[in-house]
Amino acid sequence: MRTSRPVAGSLAVLGYIIMIVPILFVVATSFTGGRTLRFPPEGFSLQWFEAALTYDPFISALVSSLQLALIATVLALAIGIPATLAIHRGAIPGKGVIEGLFLSPLIVPELVVGLALYQQLMIGFGLANFETLLLGHTVLMLPYAVRVTGASLALADPALEEAARGLGASPLRAFFTITLPLLRPGIFSAGLLSFLTSFNNVPLSLLLQSRDFRTLPVTMLDYVQQSYDPMVAAMATLILAGTVVIAVIAERTVGFAKIFGGINR
Amino acid sequence: MNAAAEFAGVSQVFGDFTAVDSIDLRIAQGKLTTLLGPSGCGKTTTLRMLAGYAAPTSGRIDIDGVDSTRTPPEKRNLGMVFQSYALFPHLTVAENVGYGLKLRRVPAAERQQRVQETLELVGLGHLAASKPKKLSGGQQQRVALARAIAIRPKLLLLDEPLSNLDARLRVHMRAELRRIQSETGLTVVLVTHDQDEALEMSDDMVLMRAGRIMQQGAPQDVFPNPANRFVADFLGYENFLTAADGSVLAVRPEHLDVLPVGGPTAAGGLALDATVTDVAYRGVDMLVTVRTVDASGADVRLISDVRSDGLSTVSIGDVVTVTAPPSRLVAMAAEVPEPVR
Ligand SMILES: Nc1ncnc2c1ncn2[C@@H]1O[C@H](COP(=O)(O)OP(=O)(O)OP(=O)(O)O)[C@@H](O)[C@H]1O
Ligand SMILES: [Mg+2]
Repeated sequence: MRTSRPVAGSLAVLGYIIMIVPILFVVATSFTGGRTLRFPPEGFSLQWFEAALTYDPFISALVSSLQLALIATVLALAIGIPATLAIHRGAIPGKGVIEGLFLSPLIVPELVVGLALYQQLMIGFGLANFETLLLGHTVLMLPYAVRVTGASLALADPALEEAARGLGASPLRAFFTITLPLLRPGIFSAGLLSFLTSFNNVPLSLLLQSRDFRTLPVTMLDYVQQSYDPMVAAMATLILAGTVVIAVIAERTVGFAKIFGGINR
Repeated sequence: MNAAAEFAGVSQVFGDFTAVDSIDLRIAQGKLTTLLGPSGCGKTTTLRMLAGYAAPTSGRIDIDGVDSTRTPPEKRNLGMVFQSYALFPHLTVAENVGYGLKLRRVPAAERQQRVQETLELVGLGHLAASKPKKLSGGQQQRVALARAIAIRPKLLLLDEPLSNLDARLRVHMRAELRRIQSETGLTVVLVTHDQDEALEMSDDMVLMRAGRIMQQGAPQDVFPNPANRFVADFLGYENFLTAADGSVLAVRPEHLDVLPVGGPTAAGGLALDATVTDVAYRGVDMLVTVRTVDASGADVRLISDVRSDGLSTVSIGDVVTVTAPPSRLVAMAAEVPEPVR
């Protein structure tokens, strides 16, 4: 932090404190030996972790959430990457409009999207709630797929693919040996962002839940409304640990600067 | 002599803009041909059509006697060096150079040997394992060249290969390119907007303007005999006079002499009374600008480049005679009409 900008520096520190302290409270209470969600924790024990990991609704919701996030991420990338290529490299009219369309889920409130999906697909077409959720999450993630891979595509010189063609590569070959490797960090970061967005999503999942398919955040929310014991804190701490592990792996393999460098363009 | 490539009536139209206007062009086998002309005259577009990156709007391009107008680039076997070099950033120098060989299924051992040979040819044998980002501009340019040569292309195409290099390296690389061309016997097409580069390097030079070819020939033929005023202007003839018969006479500054009025002049040469309007001393030589009236009655400004020791006393306002021997007067067609685009 540069001392020459005291106001900005202090604000940043304050921001970190505001973000991190509540998380520390949650983590601390999850190790409590007592029976209530209270700070400071009473003693130390791992009992609530054991409870969380053997509580069936949490485990099945975790599996549901992971399934949903994984499949939705793959779908979003499968739709988003070709769309990005078409927007940036293809000779199609109205590129701006198309890109805007793909980015629009960032602006439309999720509750509106959720309600629309609920009315149209679940009520109107009688689609199952997993499929509807999958569709909703995929749409929600498209902006990341288009924006982040688009940013790394914009950095790649179009002459590279031409050079590969000139050396004897078919368009497909040139794409797979030259363009795709250059896009890999972008695709990786788009995937990571999409996955986390889906995994943490509440509004859509709340609207489109059913008795047999419920995501983890929604299940935890339900649980908190009924009882006030530290099992929720333990589950939250486990999710946090998982996210940190993913982040560390991402940092070691690709690097944050490379992963997130493309977002703010 | 076989043509390595031949354009017949080739045009490239972007929207309502004609970038290349029905050109006919023969690229001689085993020679170095330069495409020379000012910015925007269509050099890159011509090269891209030859490489297959842009399909001509009309006309026909033969490569090695075979109609290749619609052949995709990967089937043409031409080596292209891009102005930006376009090296693959995720591959090493050796992998870049070997990329085309790998696609041609050259066995690994032979591939490695050919990559090494090609890198030696361009003087980069020691950098095979480096990533392109680590290299200087001049080295990157050599890698791009090696990558294009390694596939043993029918033609080597270079788009302003030297323009991103500093002045000294540029002059050095002209000689290097000529050496590589003669060692490999490759047919080379080189795009440039630098007339010195074209004169020094070409076996054959093609002067372009606004999508058309103005003149083609060996530098030794083109330089002393520019076909029209545009070519003469581009090649540094700065003085243009309209002769009594309406044709244009061009004289290079170094061939125009400034003498005292009434001195002896060569028969049949140029001799005009003129007023000195500017004198610029440059050490070995000086530039004398004069105003005079040519045979058509038009006011003209001429520049003479004379040795300083030959004429030390001229000053602004002097009345002098400017002369040029008949052998130095180049007659050419009057101004070519501005092409309609
Ligand atoms: N894809 C395109 N769409 C529209 N116009 C184009 C396109 N490519 C080239 N042009 C135009 O065609 C003309 C010729 O371009 P070209 O790149 O061939 O010129 P050049 O002789 O290589 O010039 P330079 O020395 O600046 O590289 C230019 O006016 C350019 O703006
Ligand atoms: Mg050009």
